[in-house]
Amino acid sequence: MTQRVLVAGLGNEYRSDDGAGPAVAAYVGDRTPSTVESKVIGEPLDLVGAWEDADLAVVVDATRSGAAAGTVQLVDLGGGENADSYSGPMSTHGMDLARVLRLTRAMGHAPSRVVVVGIEGENFADGIGLSPAVEVAVPEAGELVLQVIDEAISCA
Amino acid sequence: MTHQRPADSRTVKVEGLARVEGEGSLRVEVRDGTVELVELEIFEPPRFFEAFLQGRRHTEAPDITARICGICPVAYQTSACLAIEDACKVAITDQIAMLRRLLYCGEWIQSHALHIHFLHAPDFFGCEDAVELAGLDLAAVQRGLEIKKVGNLVMEVVGGRAIHPVNVRVGGFYKAPSREEIAALVEPLRRARDAALASVEWVAGFDFPDIEIDYRFVSLRHPEYYAIESGRIASSDGLDLDAEGISELVEEQHVARSNALHARLGGQDMYLTGPLSRYALNSGQLSPIAREAATAAGLGAVCNNPFRSIIVRAVELVYSCDEALRLVEAYEPPDPPAVAVPGTAGIGYGASEAPRGLLFHRYELDGDGLIRAARIVPPTSQNQLCIEDDLRRVAQANLSLPDEELGWLCEQAVRNFDPCISCATHFLDVSVERL
Repeated sequence: MTQRVLVAGLGNEYRSDDGAGPAVAAYVGDRTPSTVESKVIGEPLDLVGAWEDADLAVVVDATRSGAAAGTVQLVDLGGGENADSYSGPMSTHGMDLARVLRLTRAMGHAPSRVVVVGIEGENFADGIGLSPAVEVAVPEAGELVLQVIDEAISCA
Repeated sequence: MTHQRPADSRTVKVEGLARVEGEGSLRVEVRDGTVELVELEIFEPPRFFEAFLQGRRHTEAPDITARICGICPVAYQTSACLAIEDACKVAITDQIAMLRRLLYCGEWIQSHALHIHFLHAPDFFGCEDAVELAGLDLAAVQRGLEIKKVGNLVMEVVGGRAIHPVNVRVGGFYKAPSREEIAALVEPLRRARDAALASVEWVAGFDFPDIEIDYRFVSLRHPEYYAIESGRIASSDGLDLDAEGISELVEEQHVARSNALHARLGGQDMYLTGPLSRYALNSGQLSPIAREAATAAGLGAVCNNPFRSIIVRAVELVYSCDEALRLVEAYEPPDPPAVAVPGTAGIGYGASEAPRGLLFHRYELDGDGLIRAARIVPPTSQNQLCIEDDLRRVAQANLSLPDEELGWLCEQAVRNFDPCISCATHFLDVSVERL
């Protein structure tokens, strides 16, 4: 059975490093078959319609965790059973990812597995272009996303 | 979270008003039982975009300004197109105008569905967010999502994608959707209209604080339709202006605490844009089904209670579904899908009704069609003084409440306006200080 895989690049490329998610989504979109949906999501709530019932959703977002700029982190949320634990500074967006995941679960359409790939940003001011450290991390994060997808598909 | 201060002062902080699309903070200062100061600090991106647009080609304005807001890109695209077309003295065809209106209906549907069901309704149930609300009324939250999806679908079919549509260009569209593509919207829109009617009934049953405010309403007014994507600017005190007129009349003042500008119209301090204003000035132009829904929900010709704006928004949700259906059923693909708009030296103005209020743009072009100056006045900066005034009233009338409850009520008073403060990195910290 074909797996439904979504890669969501969360963020806004006009807010400097907040554009990291869209940049990784573009990187992945150029390197995956058309069966893998790769899209830019501006507002986390738009994930609700986009990731419903997906087998795997990989969400890529800029983070502000205090790590060094460009640090790539992976958090496997599974089916989101413990999504409460992840509320907080992971996302730069208002209705954070964990809430959106809990909402989708409450409505009975959560993805089977959600993996978050974060790239630590350092500048979220108005402007275009990623900081050098974040720019360098985009291929690293992109390759990590591709690896997650490959493993998931080969295990199916 | 409550922080005790020594002696006679106290600060209450409500962390993260997450259901406002933006970034900012709210401070209320109370001295000897009187609200002395209300400051809504907001940080909004249009100023950056105004500078960024300088030197860009006139055809780039819709795509660039669409990125100001993830919730209302069509509003920015439309006002930009209108202003550039005005500067270049080009008129679009009726068919292009109607397709633009259909796209805008899609944005109203998705934005209003989002605000009503996910951001605003939780307030009336004492819920922290839509997740908690789903535990109490799952059907309502699901209904909101279904309606929002139909709005997204309209934007995908007409605009090329649901977020930051790519099919819009100065002069019209890159490609006109086929009749078949548009006809496929009929059933989803009918379902959305029925669902929106249920939402009007739902929100009409909420408990609302008893407050009436004598707003100075300002909105677009169109001779034939409930104004969305075009029209002249009208006000409850008799203004009748075109987009140039309001652009000249609105003064914006910098205040030290915010990088948003405070708008004043014609020397008077405050005016309100958004659903309450549109409804007050244009309710007679709603379609019969939307008018009936408004009447059944207990709305008169004017609604002065900001907390009841959720009902007006729901009525507009019905209308935008109903109007989209009318446009879909009358659809003729514009051929060509866009009129040519050669860049010429000139100044142009454009105004449209973003879901949360009036949005106007002004562009100055040189002889090569390059943008020399841009001015973008979003609804939230126009409403900021009204928001602060409402907050002052609400806080003053409820000083007997404990700080936490007062902070919560103040948050609600802000959300009544559906402020769209920026399109990313969101915070709004609320603090109440009793000195």
